[in-house]
Amino acid sequence: MRRIWLIAAAASAYLLAAWMVAPGFYDGFAPQQPYNWVCPPVHVTSNLAPSSGHVEIKVIGGVSDAASAYTDDGQVVIGFLPGAFDATGKTVITVDIKPVSPCPKPPGITFATNAYQVTWDAPLVKSATLVTRYSDVIPAPSNLYYATSADGSWESVPVQSQAQPFTIDAVVNKFGYYAAGYPSNSVAHSSSNSQLLPIAIAVLIVGVLVAGVPLAIMRRRGKTDDREADDSDA
Amino acid sequence: MLSVLAARPALRVAVIATYILLVEWSRALISTAPRAAMGALVLGGLALVLAGVGWPFDRLGIGRSRLAFRILGGLALAVVLLIPAAARASSAPILPAFLAAPAIVVSIGEEIAFRGALYAALEDLGGAPVAIIGSTALWTAAHALSHPPEFLFAVCAAGLLLALWRWACKDLVGPIIGHVLADLAL
Repeated sequence: MRRIWLIAAAASAYLLAAWMVAPGFYDGFAPQQPYNWVCPPVHVTSNLAPSSGHVEIKVIGGVSDAASAYTDDGQVVIGFLPGAFDATGKTVITVDIKPVSPCPKPPGITFATNAYQVTWDAPLVKSATLVTRYSDVIPAPSNLYYATSADGSWESVPVQSQAQPFTIDAVVNKFGYYAAGYPSNSVAHSSSNSQLLPIAIAVLIVGVLVAGVPLAIMRRRGKTDDREADDSDA
Repeated sequence: MLSVLAARPALRVAVIATYILLVEWSRALISTAPRAAMGALVLGGLALVLAGVGWPFDRLGIGRSRLAFRILGGLALAVVLLIPAAARASSAPILPAFLAAPAIVVSIGEEIAFRGALYAALEDLGGAPVAIIGSTALWTAAHALSHPPEFLFAVCAAGLLLALWRWACKDLVGPIIGHVLADLAL
């Protein structure tokens, strides 16, 4: 009996500890830091403003250096190869990444990340790699979208296989506006996903109770039979 | 070498604990590298399973006796582990589908390593209290690199719950089922 109480006490301690940090126990598959939103989803209670990024790429011997531009919170990273830019007449090429506010809401698309304006001041002659991190508290985006202006028309950019969990990667060759998201007609899965876990837990609780009662009765009956057998042997 | 380890429980605990910590910390560090997450998780999980090699199944807590009870216990443990996330489902992380298989391998590996081999070695060294406290402490330390510090209380409490189940029911099947379901859900 003491063992049952110890397990119950440990379960209570876990529930208390896990309640203090959403989502409780997980095994380290989630990103180390929460996503910083321009327009946080309604269920995100604490949020920091997203950061911008700026890099000055040196031009050495007429060739632009290899470099990465990234926002200070690491939510967007763009990698440039050596000679990625036409550096004619330049000694430095400037790349800027800025989160877009207010949040664009194009028809037919639901963004799962902030939209970012990416600019550079020289023609890009080799494609760059754009890595966008996304939040783990909303459904993963399936597409990366591009637009020439925040309130303009957004088009889908082919995405590459995921290099890291919770990132979406693409090869880009134009500056402009980028955001990750999914077609709005598939947005229904976000609400069903968020409801799936409570339903699964409710089913598990019912299952444990329904299966546990006959199991307990069988065990008790088994013990009684053993006792009766012992008595008759005596 | 193996006979030396068998004759010296303290040395055996030190070797197993060091091995598990190195595997867990390496896995946590390597999985942050680009394109390395899946490989690091699967290989790390398999390396943890290796910690159980050489131990009889019954010493690890694995067996088919009382199987219905063990499975039911695992489901009950999963319920407890997931209740805080389920109660706040809108803020629960959603595990990407491609991480499902690595999550299963890692959770089975962690149970065999922590509540299986390490628990058995610690039990030989100092009995059940040492096994429960020691395996929980190492489990918490092993997650220090993969979790923000504020999560370690929940990780520690989860480890204590699973270790107490291992002790009270002499069972590892329940913790494996509970851990796998919790990892798959989050």
